[in-house]
Amino acid sequence: MAASSVKIDVHHITRVEGHGTIVVDVKNGQLKQCELEIPETPRFFEAMLRGRPYGESSHITSRICGICAVGHATASLRATENALGVEPSEQTVLLRKLNFHGEMLDSHILHAYMLVAPDLLGVGSVIPLAKTAPDVVLRALRMKKLAGDLCAAICGRHTHPIAMTVGGFTHYPSVDQLVGLRERLEAMRPDVDATVELFQKLKLPAFERDTEYIALHKDDEYCYIDGEIASSDGGRWTLDEYRQVTNEYLVQYSSAKRCRNQRETYMVGALARVNLNFDQLHPKAKAAAAALNLKPKCINPYMNTVAQVVEIAHCLEDAIRLTDVLIARGIVWEEPAKPARLTGEGVGACDVPRGTLFHNYVIQDGLVSGANCIIPTGQNLANIEADMHALVPRILDRRPEEITLSLEMLVRAYDPCISCSTHALDVRFE
Amino acid sequence: MFASSETRLTDGASFHAPVTVPRSEVLILALGNPLRGDDGVGAAILCALQTHSEVAAVDLVDGGTPGLETLLMLQGYRHAIILDAADMGQAPGTWRRFTPDEAGWQPRLLGGSLHDAGLAEALSLGAALRTLPQSIVIYGIQPAAIGWEPGLTRLVQEAVPAVVDAVLDDLCGALRPDNEDM
Repeated sequence: MAASSVKIDVHHITRVEGHGTIVVDVKNGQLKQCELEIPETPRFFEAMLRGRPYGESSHITSRICGICAVGHATASLRATENALGVEPSEQTVLLRKLNFHGEMLDSHILHAYMLVAPDLLGVGSVIPLAKTAPDVVLRALRMKKLAGDLCAAICGRHTHPIAMTVGGFTHYPSVDQLVGLRERLEAMRPDVDATVELFQKLKLPAFERDTEYIALHKDDEYCYIDGEIASSDGGRWTLDEYRQVTNEYLVQYSSAKRCRNQRETYMVGALARVNLNFDQLHPKAKAAAAALNLKPKCINPYMNTVAQVVEIAHCLEDAIRLTDVLIARGIVWEEPAKPARLTGEGVGACDVPRGTLFHNYVIQDGLVSGANCIIPTGQNLANIEADMHALVPRILDRRPEEITLSLEMLVRAYDPCISCSTHALDVRFE
Repeated sequence: MFASSETRLTDGASFHAPVTVPRSEVLILALGNPLRGDDGVGAAILCALQTHSEVAAVDLVDGGTPGLETLLMLQGYRHAIILDAADMGQAPGTWRRFTPDEAGWQPRLLGGSLHDAGLAEALSLGAALRTLPQSIVIYGIQPAAIGWEPGLTRLVQEAVPAVVDAVLDDLCGALRPDNEDM
């Protein structure tokens, strides 16, 4: 029986600084309203940066998010370094890449296991899953622990890194630490294989909608830091030209800006990266993609999680390679590279777990005078809504709760970054 | 230049990074964001605690807003004391010492985003997996404002010394040999 009128209003999140909701309204078979409301937090941090010494920017912006803290810190440092003419050393670049893999592993493992797997296994959340299949959740936590320890060895801690600074690091891991981490990374391979096997068994919704995919790109490596901006519709832009890609605009019903490039919407994230940079993946990641039936160009947004699993395989192998390079080189204590000037403007870009992140700073006499941060979720919002517009008419014959679940799973596939810059407890004593 | 700008944001409690292997049976974990007004009260208490000799034998960690990562931060400890801003519907600066069982909260089901996971969700998951410390005590401090600038409001700042004293009392119990509970 076709549901000619459906009204769905999902209040996903209610928290101090806002909420994320899905609103869908269908009347007489016509889609009247289909919106996603997610508040945009980085703007407040942009304001906080103004007037602060440039060296504080990465510490302030790493507090935007408890999951992508290394990503924000790295993009922030690259923006400052580009503004002030700082050239990081080869060792710094290697350590940042290794550190980044730690965060990518951590975030993807969390998302795939804690958020998506419970849906596909038919349990409400990871908490009941921990009771019915503790080995699955413990495997996730074991891998997450190693990813966190990797970050801690390099930048002091994963959540809000301490040792990353403009021009380099204020702390270095010892070669012994790297050797120990390498052993543990190698021992993680069976867990990654098990992750691929788990997602081989899980059935994702078959929904396709072609869109434009945007990611950072380098010809000689699977790019997470720097590079240039590439589109699946063709076109390359330098990082300084990011505004020509993001084209932010406002909509009436939301305080969060939307983005569009060559089409009305575009997608960033693991699926976009795999679509654009498949050739640069590690052979083991390509094998994982084959096992999971992910081939570029894939246009099913639910497959974003599968792309994350492929990236887990890539990041593990590339982390092992990077530790080998660093161990062979030896770790040298270096002073951070100095700025060539104290006034300038620069853009930093990283492909963080949820997609391309831009930081753009104007610095005058060593103080930040202007900042613009564009997060992946902001770029994905319009694309998620366009997916919802395409999906809802195809599933109107289902029960409202099934439609709701499909929409929730769609939003979850993107794992939108709903600000976690605060987590004050909410306690009511009986 | 680097040193001074680094120090301004990383002085005090912010130096207390999570440890990968516990050095003590006791963890004092501050949660919250010092850039968000009273949400930084946990870090402020941690900062005040570090001047006391009683904390020399315990791990002090400024956890920030780690979400489910909290679970891993707690792993391997026998006792944990958690310091956090808590909306308890009370006057600003009011603080309570309670256990997770006494909190009466309902963990969210993590329906929309992992970014929404907080302490309640991390503790629920840890309880399901049986990985939590033997005892967990939470100090919740009622915030006046969780805004967009660093620094505590007056009433919350004034609550810090009393919470420090209470935590030190807890430590005397926790560090007693053969202590089974706090």
